[in-house]
Amino acid sequence: MNIDQRGFARFFSVLVAAGLLLVLAGGQAVGEEEYDEDAYGPQAPIVFIAPVKAVVFSHKTHTMDAGLECDSCHDEIFQMESGSTEQNDDFTMQSLYDGKYCGACHDGETAFASNTRCTVCHIGVKGFDRMQGGQKTDAHGGHH
Amino acid sequence: MKISDLEKLKNEGVENLPSSERRSFLKFGLSVTGVFLGGSILSLTSARNAQGIVELMPQQAQKFPYSPHYSMVIRQNRCIDCERCKEACVKTNFVPSYGYRTTILEMERETSPGESERIFMPVLCNHCNRPPCVRVCPTKATYKDKKTGIVMMDYKKCIGCKTCMAACPYNARYFKEDIRAVDKCNFCYDTRLVKGEKETACAAACPADVRVFGDLSDPDSRVYKLIHAPEKVAWVLRPETGALPNIYYMND
Repeated sequence: MNIDQRGFARFFSVLVAAGLLLVLAGGQAVGEEEYDEDAYGPQAPIVFIAPVKAVVFSHKTHTMDAGLECDSCHDEIFQMESGSTEQNDDFTMQSLYDGKYCGACHDGETAFASNTRCTVCHIGVKGFDRMQGGQKTDAHGGHH
Repeated sequence: MKISDLEKLKNEGVENLPSSERRSFLKFGLSVTGVFLGGSILSLTSARNAQGIVELMPQQAQKFPYSPHYSMVIRQNRCIDCERCKEACVKTNFVPSYGYRTTILEMERETSPGESERIFMPVLCNHCNRPPCVRVCPTKATYKDKKTGIVMMDYKKCIGCKTCMAACPYNARYFKEDIRAVDKCNFCYDTRLVKGEKETACAAACPADVRVFGDLSDPDSRVYKLIHAPEKVAWVLRPETGALPNIYYMND
């Protein structure tokens, strides 16, 4: 292949990629659907405050976006009743590492491992306060 | 004082004042505790490579300035901002709601377009080897403990001028109204260490093992081992101030 041909091939591949992107973006726009709570679970994020404050779970990310069904997790891995899982004594990181709760998928193979990327789910006291609307600032934060 | 007298004074230099923008990282790594630390400090130059280049690099740890040389390693990416450290500190050291001895900062860092990660950064007094707060205190109410290197407060001597608060590069001090004096972290010296506890309240309360407290001069201590882990990158906050802090940060 001489230089001209190679240049043309590269140009062509760029065209194809651009076309693909357009098709994909178009498909997205057409396929954009309303969030259906009956199909995908509650839209409001689930916030766990025990054993530590706080961990956030989004039904949308897991069902609508990742394609999981309700019965992928309910009722075997998680009870449907809100607040029930937090009351379990074994709702800890160690249980996750043992394949329970979130750890059933977050094992490093199906989804990112439970002992990595802590702050994807852990929003902390600050994140929790923000969700409650009131933003607390540190007392002597503004000295300098 | 006359100008002619002023001219005769020795220049005190700026190395103990905050924000002098000096960035001699390797030199810093050397002088931080008077030793060469095994890892790659600030990762700009691998310490191992540098060792080959700079012949004068000491091979073995020399004498530490303090014994025990208290320091803390903060494994930043493990922090989830549960703030149990803050709660424990408040309870142990009677910290009022308008101040803190330690707190958690929050940052959002873009990892790729449209994606970001949250970073929680615990902060506290860095118990600097060259503490700017001590340098500026007019009454010597704050001082470096000769044995442990802890930056301490003598509340009786504090006149509340708050110069130390302005000088601290880490915003680690607050004015405590009820004692009319500046208060700060002292590694729980009076509340725990003198009572035989081995850890600070914050380190003991951390469920994620973020805060590792110990004696940097003891090769058997966890802080020593973490800091000297060969391929581990450790960093400190605001190294350009030349304050030589004793709080080290690393990921995992």
